[in-house]
Amino acid sequence: MEAITITLDKVEVSGYPGMTILELAQESGVTIPTLCNDPHLAPSGACRICLVEEENSGALLASCVTPIRPGMVINTRSPRVIERRKVILQFMLASHPDSCLVCDKGNRCELRKLASEMGIGLLEFHRIPQHHVIQEVNPFIERDLSKCILCAKCIRADQELVVEGAIDYIERGFISKPATLNNMPLENSECTFCGTCIALCPTGALTEKEKTYHGTTTATVDTICPFCGCGCSISLEVKDNRLVRSKPAKESPVNYGTLCARGSYGYDFVHSPERLTSPMVREEGELREASWEEALTRAASEIKRIKEEYGPDSLAVLGSSKCTNEENYLLQRFARSVLGTNNIDNGSRLYNAASRVGLGSSVGFPCSTNSLKELEQSDMIMVIGANPTASAPAVGYAIKRAVRNKGTKLLLVDPRKTRLASSAYLWMKPRIGTDVALINGLAKVIIDEKSYDEEFVARKTDNFEEYAIDLRAYTAEYVEKMTGVPQEEIYLAARILAGNGHMSIVYGNGITQNSTGTNNVIALANLAMLTGNIGFSGGGIYALQRENNAQGACDMGSLPDFLPGYQSLDDSQARKSYGDRWGSEIPENAGLTALEMIEKAEAGTLKGLYIMGENPVLSFPNSSRVRNALSSLEFIAVADLFPTETAKLATVVLPAASFAEKDGTFTNFEGRAQQVRKAIEPPGESLPDWQIILRLAESLERPMPYSSTQGVRDEIEEMIPLYHHLDEFDRDDSDLDDLRGERLGARRFYKGLFPSGFGRFSPVEYIPPESTGGKQYPLTLLTGSVIHHFGSGTRSSRASRLKKFSPQAWVEINNKDAGKLGFSNGENARVVSPAGEVNAVIRTSEELPPGMLFMPISFPESPVNELFGVTTEGQTRTPSLKTCAVRLERTDSNGQDPENHQS
Amino acid sequence: MAKTQKITRAELKKVEHIIKEYGKERWGLIPCLQDVQELLGYIPPELIPHIAEVLGLSPSHVQGVITFYEQLYTKPRGKNIVRVCRGTACHVRGGKTILNLVKQHLDIEEGETSPDFEFTLETVACIGVCALAPNIVINKETHGHMNPKKVAMLFGGKDEK
Repeated sequence: MEAITITLDKVEVSGYPGMTILELAQESGVTIPTLCNDPHLAPSGACRICLVEEENSGALLASCVTPIRPGMVINTRSPRVIERRKVILQFMLASHPDSCLVCDKGNRCELRKLASEMGIGLLEFHRIPQHHVIQEVNPFIERDLSKCILCAKCIRADQELVVEGAIDYIERGFISKPATLNNMPLENSECTFCGTCIALCPTGALTEKEKTYHGTTTATVDTICPFCGCGCSISLEVKDNRLVRSKPAKESPVNYGTLCARGSYGYDFVHSPERLTSPMVREEGELREASWEEALTRAASEIKRIKEEYGPDSLAVLGSSKCTNEENYLLQRFARSVLGTNNIDNGSRLYNAASRVGLGSSVGFPCSTNSLKELEQSDMIMVIGANPTASAPAVGYAIKRAVRNKGTKLLLVDPRKTRLASSAYLWMKPRIGTDVALINGLAKVIIDEKSYDEEFVARKTDNFEEYAIDLRAYTAEYVEKMTGVPQEEIYLAARILAGNGHMSIVYGNGITQNSTGTNNVIALANLAMLTGNIGFSGGGIYALQRENNAQGACDMGSLPDFLPGYQSLDDSQARKSYGDRWGSEIPENAGLTALEMIEKAEAGTLKGLYIMGENPVLSFPNSSRVRNALSSLEFIAVADLFPTETAKLATVVLPAASFAEKDGTFTNFEGRAQQVRKAIEPPGESLPDWQIILRLAESLERPMPYSSTQGVRDEIEEMIPLYHHLDEFDRDDSDLDDLRGERLGARRFYKGLFPSGFGRFSPVEYIPPESTGGKQYPLTLLTGSVIHHFGSGTRSSRASRLKKFSPQAWVEINNKDAGKLGFSNGENARVVSPAGEVNAVIRTSEELPPGMLFMPISFPESPVNELFGVTTEGQTRTPSLKTCAVRLERTDSNGQDPENHQS
Repeated sequence: MAKTQKITRAELKKVEHIIKEYGKERWGLIPCLQDVQELLGYIPPELIPHIAEVLGLSPSHVQGVITFYEQLYTKPRGKNIVRVCRGTACHVRGGKTILNLVKQHLDIEEGETSPDFEFTLETVACIGVCALAPNIVINKETHGHMNPKKVAMLFGGKDEK
């Protein structure tokens, strides 16, 4: 590629072909003002502010859309340019209201800034009458289109970045404006309230509703969103030690300037009045406030007593997939070295263990194989058992962008219609629980038609023959019978997957939260290896993680059977090296998993539990059982933000700091460790969890030698090979290709391929799901995430705007089923399973197949997990929390049985 | 050619067939809209989501295209399109008076359609028959040298009053 040289403001500069004048100017440090330009959007040349003069021809060119040509002589500040710019701004201001003094955009308004730089005061132009503010009830976006300058950034963000298509221009000329279909309020459109348009709008036309602060803030802190596993970079604006706004950060390697409703509006839980601000101890059955010293002394003495009386294995620690890596590392050291037990697990046990075990045994590493950027380069994407538009929005956007821009073929496997269905090339709706049969069926077609990657399989994998032989039973006929997916679709899907180009598989909790979760994952890994789609850009496996640091917590060894970095407890060398480092012997036997802790508490062999940032009473199945089990413990310490259902049972409650109040790192589902930065001080006496753990260790007279998170991070970098490059945060992804295996900030192990050199095919058999509930429980319930809440809802239900928009749980039922059973939209109902019952409001829907119900997981007042029993999956001891057999009963508005009996 | 307000089932079926022909061709939006309008006389807003889905576009985008072009209509139009010229020559020769008289006779304003869907009234910039000013075009027929008597003759018989 030959460089092109132009003269820019009398200086010679060079750029590559295709570069625009604006891009070259930015690179050369010359500022050209713009209003409609943004690095994440394709340039559109709408505002014309960026005009520059080309002195040879005398032409005024829009620098954002004009490519450089050899010999151009550009003047960015010639008198003609300045004059023209002033006139354009005056035209814009002529149709702009005179409300600068009271407009919330204040000093952040780019129009105002430019106008003042250009010295525009009074306008001589005739004023043009304007649009009214649009009345909408959603608590997220306020539209005052009288301030719109028609830069179309909102429309371009909506269509190019998040690909929802909720808004576009309507009409033309003076009455043109961005509008939804039929000019309805946003809550009656496809809008998901991601907040991206607000972040991009240069004027006060689009702003957040219910702002807590009006105007420009004093400080911004770039950090990572604390909700889902995407790990989007957010920029928190701070004023007087309060968070007032959350926007996508400028540098956002995962989210490219987008966010979702949770990232944009969910941060207010940090300022909820329910935040714990003081330690509490239980005295005579009641919790009362206490000082840190008292609480820690009490905790330490109880722990010591229990340890002496019953042995270290009568104690357990539950770590958090929401807390930072440093905190999880400290916690597992605390458990192993201070308490002397391997009874440590973290909340991601509920959904991610199958991924770890399944991927670990097949590709050798328990994580996604590629970055999100590469997903967008795939030619084919299979999304199975996942609803990324609700659970991992940044992934959802990437998939939709790939379909829109690259023509990527999307294969969607989901019995329920999700938002991706409209972008899908093929949408397969298998029966619930039949995934292994379907995946094996696809693999068999690929093998039969010899469209698999023979070279890859021969050179880079193991055990192919056994796998191929085992697949012989999975004929398309058999698979159709088992799954209900027509044979033609199976063949079509298989051909798409094995077609030319790179293929990615994206899967989520629909795959892992089953009793056959591990087998499901292995089947997918087999499929990826079969088609040769592991180990390079554009193809791979993406294991979505529900929570922000599920990947990190496991990497850090908050697991009962692994040391940090997935070194096995059986490895005496590993035990010795940690033992030496920590100055104590590491116990050899694997410890209890999260659910086993509950079981052992019930049985009476577990006596004490330290819980950091988890709420098992709400998030584990069968909460009444969990509640009883925990109540029977002699000692519980809970470190959390809120007085949760679990905290209410504790002996000692320790107030913890939120993500915005501490430093650390989170590792997202890509395996990318990203920096979390402190933005405000924790309220009252609350402390970051890492400080709590250190203080507790001190009270137990086994202090751990760290004085800051940096100290912990240094040790992580030293001891965990995967995190060797933890400190190189600031290098960007473009260095990636050179290093291939060693990703920065993230640990990538693929120096080409598999860590052991080979991937392993493991044949997995399809086990038909247990017969459903029969006449008593004729319907199947599917649980899942929704975009406007998160996880078990502990934090998102305390974010005021999210709560306002989506205040209560609902149960979705197919229209026809509702008719047959006599239920109507908005009625109160009760969902009953063999394990428990939950109240919800009926919502009829066309998106569910008959016989299926859907309930969101995130409403603490209607805890869906009540309906699930505590049966665990064999290999990972994970409960299956995705589906169960239920029936529906009518209730009155108080949740009681109505006088006329159930249907 | 222009139909009255209600779309019959047969028309709906035909329209769906027309739309389907365009498959997932995003470029085909404007020809598709023109075809729909050819059949129904206008583009019913209720059809927008369907057109969008078949062509692989978002409904708000389709709406944007329709509202941008003046000649794509979202409301049903009258059986007879009456266009009164407001060009220079016609203006000078009393075009404004002719317009007012037409408005009176039809009892509708510019841009409106009569309640019985018989007439739609528009003004246009110049028909190009300035020698015959003032002019009116009804459907495809040009009526030159208009005067109050002629206006009454044209519209008097169809007078609502």
